[in-house]
Amino acid sequence: MSDTKESIRAAILEKIPDADVVVDAGSGGHFTIQVVSPVFSGKNMVESQRLVYGAIAHLMKGDGAPVHAVDKLTTKTP
Amino acid sequence: MLSDTVKTQLDELIKKNKVLLFMKGNKHFPQCGFSAQVVQILKETGVKFETVNVLQDPAVRDGIKEYSSWPTIPQLYVDGEFIGGCDIVKEMYAAGDLQKKLGVEDKPVAPPKITLDEGAVKAIKGADEGSGDVLRLEIGPQFQYDLYFGPKKPGDVEVVAGGVTVCFDKQSAKKADGLSVSWVETPDGGAFRIDNPNEPARVKSLSAPELKKWMDEGKAFELFDVRTDEERAIAKVDRARALDGEGEEALLALAKDTPLVFMCHHGMRSRNAAERILREGFKQVYNLEGGIDAWSQKVDAAVPRY
Repeated sequence: MSDTKESIRAAILEKIPDADVVVDAGSGGHFTIQVVSPVFSGKNMVESQRLVYGAIAHLMKGDGAPVHAVDKLTTKTP
Repeated sequence: MLSDTVKTQLDELIKKNKVLLFMKGNKHFPQCGFSAQVVQILKETGVKFETVNVLQDPAVRDGIKEYSSWPTIPQLYVDGEFIGGCDIVKEMYAAGDLQKKLGVEDKPVAPPKITLDEGAVKAIKGADEGSGDVLRLEIGPQFQYDLYFGPKKPGDVEVVAGGVTVCFDKQSAKKADGLSVSWVETPDGGAFRIDNPNEPARVKSLSAPELKKWMDEGKAFELFDVRTDEERAIAKVDRARALDGEGEEALLALAKDTPLVFMCHHGMRSRNAAERILREGFKQVYNLEGGIDAWSQKVDAAVPRY
């Protein structure tokens, strides 16, 4: 599980290098993600979350995906 | 890759339906908790909406993710615009923005009446770090509770009880009228206990020290022991009545709001009995967690373990 947590973090940082990323793993491939970055300034919730989801889309694809669900995704500006 | 056929199909669906939810299952039988929550919100707004069950068509299931650039289901569209998934819909509903988008009235929610006992007030005040965050109480779809300090949100319903301000989001507020928060001692230390009359009846957990406290306080309740006579001969709690034929008859004759506690050796058999009794219409059914074994270890060492 911690591997997936690290993959999520790395994938987000690759797309948003100045981000502060916190990933918590629940059970059964459920995750909680918090991302803080100036990149979200002026973006609405859909745009902000799309940016993060776009970064980890490859981890959520298909039936056997390591990330089954993101229970909560929070995006904030510092 | 999103095929042209699927893209056209999605274009048409979204154009044809003013409010359209891509979800797992349908509005009567949602097959995923996130989908169920969005359905519940849409029903509460009173708006007419259509749903597409993505589980019935893998091409649509994968297609819509690409179409919206959004990797999860559910997905809500209003007037052809992608609104978001469960989190966003919940937040927009709480703030009243979803109602605006749907063109329906944002009905105000009456503040629920709640009570906090002295211990709870003390614990809350002690935990307040003065960071400006408010105390929030969230009540999930299955009546899961989350009590924490967090930022105030638009659309919050504020209630003052025992000198403490508690904030609810709209959906939680609707489920909270008559709720009480108390501070109880548990084997792992002090903890909040929430009693909510809006909860559908279910078996509640009771620890051995809590049961002892009930006895000491002279609380009215009935204790039933579901173990065999042989086991009862080895170890028993004096007050407990055997749940044999006679015991069961006496139980069924009790008022339905009588607090009932069930116990056995480790808490498994008694839980089954408690679940069964719930179906007889009793409202306050407790299971002694850990059974008589926990009782001997935590309350009365004179009761032999076996």
